[in-house]
Amino acid sequence: MIDDALLEDTAEDLFEDAPCGYLSTRLDGTIVKVNRTFETWTGLARGELLERRRFQELLAPGGRIYHETHYVPLLRMQGTVRAVAVEIVGADGTRMPALINSVLRHDAAGRPQVIRTTVFDATDRRRYEQELLRAQRREHDIAQQLQRGMLSGELPAAEGLEVDVAYRPGDAGLEVGGDWYDAFWLDDGDTIGLVVGDVVGRGIEAAATMGQLRSAVRALASTGLGPGALVSALDGYARRHAIGRMTTLVYAQLNLATRRLRFVAAGHPPPLIVKPGEDPCFAEDGRSLPLDAHGVSAHAREEAVRELPPRSAILLYTDGLVESRSRLLDDGMDRLRREVAVHRDEAAADLTANVARALHEAERTDDVCLLAARIGVAAR
Amino acid sequence: MTVAERNNVVEHGDRDAQPIVFAHGFGCDQNMWRFVWPAFADDARVILFDHVGAGGSDASAYDRERYASLRGYAEDVLEICRELNLTDVVFVGHSVSAMIGALAAAAEPERFARLVLVGPSPRYIDEGDYSGGFTQQDIEGLLESMDSNYLGWSSAMAPVIMGNDDRPQLGEELVNSFCRADPEIARHFARVTFMSDNRADLAQVRTPSLILQCSDDAIAPRPVGEYVHAQLADSRLVLLEATGHCPNLSAPEETVAAIKAYLAT
Repeated sequence: MIDDALLEDTAEDLFEDAPCGYLSTRLDGTIVKVNRTFETWTGLARGELLERRRFQELLAPGGRIYHETHYVPLLRMQGTVRAVAVEIVGADGTRMPALINSVLRHDAAGRPQVIRTTVFDATDRRRYEQELLRAQRREHDIAQQLQRGMLSGELPAAEGLEVDVAYRPGDAGLEVGGDWYDAFWLDDGDTIGLVVGDVVGRGIEAAATMGQLRSAVRALASTGLGPGALVSALDGYARRHAIGRMTTLVYAQLNLATRRLRFVAAGHPPPLIVKPGEDPCFAEDGRSLPLDAHGVSAHAREEAVRELPPRSAILLYTDGLVESRSRLLDDGMDRLRREVAVHRDEAAADLTANVARALHEAERTDDVCLLAARIGVAAR
Repeated sequence: MTVAERNNVVEHGDRDAQPIVFAHGFGCDQNMWRFVWPAFADDARVILFDHVGAGGSDASAYDRERYASLRGYAEDVLEICRELNLTDVVFVGHSVSAMIGALAAAAEPERFARLVLVGPSPRYIDEGDYSGGFTQQDIEGLLESMDSNYLGWSSAMAPVIMGNDDRPQLGEELVNSFCRADPEIARHFARVTFMSDNRADLAQVRTPSLILQCSDDAIAPRPVGEYVHAQLADSRLVLLEATGHCPNLSAPEETVAAIKAYLAT
């Protein structure tokens, strides 16, 4: 049986020992009424508070700024504010995380008079939120380290060869994107392999997929496969291991002795080729579907070939460079061609950096990757 | 996109009269002036706008490099003036926008007739003999405070903030809607605002100015207002009875009267 006396709450009981703190303040924050719960939580007796302290003075400094710049304006404009997180500093200096709600009370003429505030202890909730934030940041750090680790290898260097890359991770919040690049020597010692790819998805999973595909490309390349056969084999790998479905990439092999370029563009924007004395030109052949494309059984990959004159360059990139929310793909590719024409005579490092900067969009959520290789270069 | 669209420019009053540009500070949007601007609409061209990232502005125009200092925001003010072809401008800036206006006036003095600086501070953080009222730690505390507040409502607010909300019923449930902002942008704006140091820029301002200093302003305390007054060549300091940092909301009559009295001189 419930003791009837406990059910007969008086208004005073309800106020004084409510499971939340109650405060009434003047418009400038001066505390004029407070309940026992609030006194207990803060260790501040009403004698120290009433007409002596302003509510905002009890907040930790960061929260005080938030109070002045958000809470007060909202209360004035809306007459009510809900669930704002602050920390209340108690008598002994400890900070109690709290959620506060306020309403503005008006007199008969409609003039605001008093602010009524309820205070809820949010200690556990705040701890949980901080754990979530920490976990989110940790995941981001791990993915970023994974991505950086995979992208930080040395680029091939040789006399007459320039290879460089501009890589900017997207800034869509905490997740890393799925763009990757690679450039490496093949076993014949005369040919370099070049890859730029884009994995579906973001975060740790995308970074791990990138890593596997990158290793697979290198391993397959070391068996002597040309671009068409290599990407077909990569298809099989992706399908067998359920990795990297719908990844797009360009894989190219460039022989420095013969200056022959062979490449495959699997669902990926076309390479841009810059020959001396000619306008930069997109290589629209050698195209096929993304890796392990839905509903398509394994198929041969069409391979394109170019004989490049000395001082030619090839540029591989990801769609983040040419496409964005505010720009259509075609416009972006036109821009890319124009910018490359402007910077074509610069060293590969400057060329990639300057073109990436010129195509930089204010709000770019996607990764941006631009890889350039130039052959037959006289010593600079 | 025009500058007026980017900054959600809203005009009232007499288009042929002297322009008064009202600029909101860190935290909310042009609604901060809702109790003030109507008092000027009868005999002035009233121009309200939102900083990029706040209120009804186009958040996609946000560029971290451009807005890495208050100069980016000052450039926006000048772009608004150019696009609307404004001259002889009275610029009324609250909080951080007071300094944004000062930077704009220093860059193109010929455009501005008067500045009204409501709760200005050229430097929020204490440094040597200078007392701005805050420590570096306090500002970190603000950023944490913003994080914990955005956690609560950012995901629900995101579509509305991004301006492509296809669920109008959300509109009725919106709380805290006047201070909506993209959390990442708000965080960056907070950092830029409270880390900025524009003390040296005050000497470049030649435009006559009025400083409205509140009593007991935790964000811009009285010594800061007096510092601004001492550094600004042709300035007047008026101490308001209003307390807090937002006299435009808490004491609109007193604020209007002080601005009108100044403009009448």
